[in-house]
Amino acid sequence: MGDRIKPPGLDAVCECGRPSSDILQVFSGLAKELYFRSGKDKTLNVHHLTFIKRTWPQSDLTVSKPVAMPLFSVPRQGPEISDRIIDFDPETLERRPVRKADVIEEFLRLGSPWAAKIVSDVPGTADGVMDDEAVDQLLIKVHCEMQRMSEEFQHGQRAAELLKPLIQVLRDAAVPTPIRIVDVGCGTGFVIRWLTANASLGADVELIGADYNSALIAEANRLALAENLCSRFVVANAFRLEQAATVIISTGVLHHFRSAELLQLFRLHDHRNTHAFVHFDFHPSRVAPFGSWLFHAARMREPLAKHDGVLSAMRAHSSANLLSAAREGAPNFVSAIYGTQLWGLPIPRAFHALVGMRAEHRDGFLAKMENRIHALGVIE
Amino acid sequence: MTLLLLWILATFDAGFAGYREAAGRNALIDKSIYFRRALVRGALYGQLATMLVGAAAFAMLSLASESSRLLADFEIVGRRMLAIYLPYAIIIGIAFSLRAIRSVDIRSITSTVVFGPFTLIRPLVALAGVIWGILGAPRPATIALGLLVLILMLSSEPIMTWMRTGSFRSRSRQLYGRV
Repeated sequence: MGDRIKPPGLDAVCECGRPSSDILQVFSGLAKELYFRSGKDKTLNVHHLTFIKRTWPQSDLTVSKPVAMPLFSVPRQGPEISDRIIDFDPETLERRPVRKADVIEEFLRLGSPWAAKIVSDVPGTADGVMDDEAVDQLLIKVHCEMQRMSEEFQHGQRAAELLKPLIQVLRDAAVPTPIRIVDVGCGTGFVIRWLTANASLGADVELIGADYNSALIAEANRLALAENLCSRFVVANAFRLEQAATVIISTGVLHHFRSAELLQLFRLHDHRNTHAFVHFDFHPSRVAPFGSWLFHAARMREPLAKHDGVLSAMRAHSSANLLSAAREGAPNFVSAIYGTQLWGLPIPRAFHALVGMRAEHRDGFLAKMENRIHALGVIE
Repeated sequence: MTLLLLWILATFDAGFAGYREAAGRNALIDKSIYFRRALVRGALYGQLATMLVGAAAFAMLSLASESSRLLADFEIVGRRMLAIYLPYAIIIGIAFSLRAIRSVDIRSITSTVVFGPFTLIRPLVALAGVIWGILGAPRPATIALGLLVLILMLSSEPIMTWMRTGSFRSRSRQLYGRV
């Protein structure tokens, strides 16, 4: 590990004491990283990666040694790969090109050669942009693997456990029908499809999945059609639908939003037609990073799924953070955390849920929760 | 009895390998038929594997000068392998029975505590069983047979993937003109 990558602005100190002429500057996009030359001509070894010097845009990373799935070297504050290899204009929802070298360099700068290697393995176009089709196929595969995990951890049942009493309360309150449940960032729509197939929520409940990624939405619609499920998936901003959601739900989405973005997300909930929200995400605990690593190592095949899965558990917001963001961002709702501990014992769960609703539904919801009430925190 | 138990364990292990190989590749909600087929495919692989091991053992016994002694050694190795594999199988079995309880939390905890970690350590358990078995009667024949068992156990998922994906089918098409 003699060769080190130095962030811009830092002195280029060569640990192996080689002369400065051996220091090669690699330019691509805005990145100006200094790499230290080692061994062969025109190649630079950085961690386990070899950078082959070619003329832009053919510059690319190839793997010189297998990059193992690390346990603790995933940067906590780093982005997830799936957040970087694809980009959308939030206004028009149009896809924006992503320069592959920029993403690779970002991960190298953050000290994550594993992530850089994963990105380097995704095909790019001749002009150095991530190949849309390859990215879509990869993300569909990853979502399929994520669904396996959701199934193993009974996520559909877990969502139904909370939604059934909530829907009953909304019915009792004579909320306008259909009661529209919208899954934000639904991906290939596992939760919505599971609820449609198994939860028997009632004819007055409409289930919609929304995501920016048209390929994931096309796959969700294809899967729903294959099983004759009457759920709907749309390429849309879930908060700008023509008919607003009655209940907003999500799974594994909240941790993608950091600090101010999270607050903004909750502000968007405050629509007059929206009565409640249920957001599931990883529950951070001391054992969560190891548990997540173990499960992703055992169950996932795609390196991207392994990387992002482990990182998700590390980046997950604490219950207190979620509650304070929800209460500040959506002050017209009362909220609580559901399912932090197992059977009231100090055994952490893999997932917890942030549940929020208009204050007038609180008492009805508490009554309808019956024996599950012990898993619910204080709603305020 | 040892042989019967090993055959049962091999069949179950291969069946579950078939399940694991198929999991995460199909995003439909109702996958009961898909998984049933995967289990059967795995169990059939298990039969092929045990037949291969049986044939190898038979060949070794036929060629051995003292076949009764070799048979006794195989028995010792088999019994010692069971000492490792049976407790593993029993724990998996208990977890499966708990999973029959219709509780989200209980089912989740069986995954967290048993299925996930035990899938991860399965190659090590397979290796430990073979090593422990061979140590009971170390000789070329038991080592060779033990290695064959280990290779078949560890390669079950990749072989099933290979058989399921195009590589096997296209090869068959090349060789026989049809699949």
